[in-house]
Amino acid sequence: MTAQEVRLCGLLLQEHFGEVVERIGTHLLRGGAQNLRTIANETNTPLDLVKKSLCVLVQHGACEFGSGRRGPGSPVEYRANCERVLRVLRYPRYIYTAKTLYGDTGELIVEEVLQRGHMTMSNTVKTVADRLTHNMEEGRSMEYSEVVSAFSKLVETHFLQRCPPVAEMGTAASSTTPATPSTPAAPASTAPPTAESNPDCYKLPHVTLIGRGKRRRSSDDSEEQRGGKKAKMEVESCGDEGIYWQVNFERFHQHFRDQAVISAVASKLDQTSSEIVRTMLRMSEVTTTQTAAYTQPLSANEIFRSLPPNYSISRPILDQYLSLLVDDPMEFVGKSGDSGGGMYVVNLQRALANLARATLESVVQERFGSRSARIFRLLLRKRHLEQKQVEDFAMIPAKEAKDMLYTLLSENLVQLQEIPKTPDHAPSRTFYLYTVNQLPTARLLLQHCYKTVANLIERRLFETKENKRLLEKSQRIEAILASLQASGAEPEQLTEVEEMITAPERQQLEALRHHINKLDSTENQVDETVFLLESYIFSTKTK
Amino acid sequence: MADVKVKKESSDPVDIENRIKALCQQFPHGITDQVIQNDMPHLEAQQRAMAINRLLSLGQLDLLRNSSGLLYRMKDAQTASKMKGSDNQEKLVYQVIEDAGNKGIWSRDIRYKSNLPLTEINKILKNLESKKLIKAVKSVAASKKKVYMLYNLQPDRSVTGGAWYSDQDFESEFVEVLNQQCFKFLQSKAEAARDSKQNPMVQRNSSFATSHEVWKYICELGISKVDLSMEDIETILNTLIYDGKVEMTIIAAKEGTVGSVDGQMKLYRGVNPIIQPTGLVKAPCGLCPVFDDCHEGGEISPSNCVYMAEWLDF
Repeated sequence: MTAQEVRLCGLLLQEHFGEVVERIGTHLLRGGAQNLRTIANETNTPLDLVKKSLCVLVQHGACEFGSGRRGPGSPVEYRANCERVLRVLRYPRYIYTAKTLYGDTGELIVEEVLQRGHMTMSNTVKTVADRLTHNMEEGRSMEYSEVVSAFSKLVETHFLQRCPPVAEMGTAASSTTPATPSTPAAPASTAPPTAESNPDCYKLPHVTLIGRGKRRRSSDDSEEQRGGKKAKMEVESCGDEGIYWQVNFERFHQHFRDQAVISAVASKLDQTSSEIVRTMLRMSEVTTTQTAAYTQPLSANEIFRSLPPNYSISRPILDQYLSLLVDDPMEFVGKSGDSGGGMYVVNLQRALANLARATLESVVQERFGSRSARIFRLLLRKRHLEQKQVEDFAMIPAKEAKDMLYTLLSENLVQLQEIPKTPDHAPSRTFYLYTVNQLPTARLLLQHCYKTVANLIERRLFETKENKRLLEKSQRIEAILASLQASGAEPEQLTEVEEMITAPERQQLEALRHHINKLDSTENQVDETVFLLESYIFSTKTK
Repeated sequence: MADVKVKKESSDPVDIENRIKALCQQFPHGITDQVIQNDMPHLEAQQRAMAINRLLSLGQLDLLRNSSGLLYRMKDAQTASKMKGSDNQEKLVYQVIEDAGNKGIWSRDIRYKSNLPLTEINKILKNLESKKLIKAVKSVAASKKKVYMLYNLQPDRSVTGGAWYSDQDFESEFVEVLNQQCFKFLQSKAEAARDSKQNPMVQRNSSFATSHEVWKYICELGISKVDLSMEDIETILNTLIYDGKVEMTIIAAKEGTVGSVDGQMKLYRGVNPIIQPTGLVKAPCGLCPVFDDCHEGGEISPSNCVYMAEWLDF
């Protein structure tokens, strides 16, 4: 956890869960695993507040608990998961993807599960049906069965999964001990069970949900409340108690990665090649593990059969496209054998490396200009070069080339390697070679991205705070307007109330709204870069 | 008993010199000491040496060294006349410069080779330059360094930098223009191939252009005052590769097909970038020059960032 990551996590926790949770969360992130007492003492928060915030964090999967360092008898320790908190930034992208794939129903399901962390299926279905019914016209309501079908589709394609079962504390066999080697008394430390280790993780429970969504009317509020209390008393058990569902982030990430690869192929080659790659990726969706370097080999016959029907290309043309994809210097697709008309794999690791490289080059180009980008690409290709060689290959005058190289060096995007000719490293008798290392540079840019997002969020909060008075006034006016309209006022009264906001104030409000929207959308755009770089770094780690 | 004196041929110094000169003309490649000795066996070593020295100082003989010893060669009559009036030192310096060929020689190196003091060297160099026997050429590698070479020699490529340098200045605009022209040519070829809507193999192959084709196109365009060789065009195309706009493949070609070098041909093709400009650069922080100094509560912070304020109002 770097300082930038902790800062960003703090901002995200504060925005989504409030100050108390933010305090506890950042304390846990900074301090590692701690037990309850320590947290309460060091953050000076009352014990029950600490308990509540820990509950919130655990509910969302941002915090794990396990038995302490001194063995099964010691107090429980809590550990915060930095990565999981950073995922909060990506929620809009997940919801949007669900919308494009499964329509409004899917979008609402994913949104509800993301907001609550863990939810049972019946709960989700009821809430989503109610929300959809609320937005529909009078007299129509949403069938539960439609929502259930959308839910089951999401589970089938692994976008939703069951939460891992929480082991009993103290039982030897299944305790989720952190892997501390200093406790020989503890049982063979197993890694905390992931969701995937549960064989039932994608099995839908047998639940009969029949009914329709209820429309909530504002006039029935008071009745509803009483009715609601009564409903809570008679808990209708739908048969799936204890089975909680969560969003499978890895699957969404796989989907984003596939999208990035397909769009890269489309812009480099053409539309048909990208369709072929899309087919190949779709066929290996559920068979490829998240960390695989290649997809499973697919034969050309299978690919031909699975092409979408509106893309009727003949078999020899398909073969030509496949061989073109294999020959391309970007190496998106590789050939692994000749049986079945040729076995082809998609090189996921190479594709991610290429995408990360293009990201680095694009940052250098936008920040320093196209000539510096030329030098950067040259160094990426040729690995180590002397000053003179850089000038010659890039065909840039010596003075300018020197200047650009030194700027890049000061920003740490380019490194200098010394090769001494004599044992005393005298500068006049040493070779100085410039080089670019892709992986460390990617990590550096990732930290920059985190800082950028944190800056954008802070600016947004600042803008909101600056104009708080104005926002409150406009909210009051809107509330007055709404109540007047509901009680049937005359148009003159309405216009009178509207005029309480002056024109310059209205302009200011408009500008504020525009600013906040812009900041929000830019956060999402920077998050795309974060995703590419994170995937690349992760793919190089597991070797 | 009277000493019988062996009658010596009268060895007039001028005669000796003339004999040596005649020998030289007989052997235009040069004669060794041995040859002179064989010819005039009665000559003492001292007299021989004196004669040779005189000829050398008169500038009529050239002293060379080869693996087996010293050679004397007849000097060209024309150059001999040129050097008349110059003294020994000048001739020495001239010789040293001539030996350097068309790469030229730096004044410090002249000093090492001739063992003359700096002031003398400078005087001699000025003299020779005014007589239009040598010239100074500025080296492109180190702009303050001047190398000297014979007046009528063409300086070597490494000194002037070749086609890209004119008068010691790197012609960046020329390179830029060539860069863009090559790129446009390759791009239009790729687009024509894409629009032809044939099967993909043919499409791809027709979007390639060999380096020879590009060279011909540039020559026909006539934007270059200097003659450009195929290697020059290839260096320009390499810069396009480093710009990420072009990719290259090498294929094996039959010897004798036009443009092939050592049985290979280089093919170039215009390409599109694989991603759009990345998200980070859409935020002002991605391009900010004071990014590292910015933190909350400091002089430069997100709340009072000028760049952000401008960008938000855009």
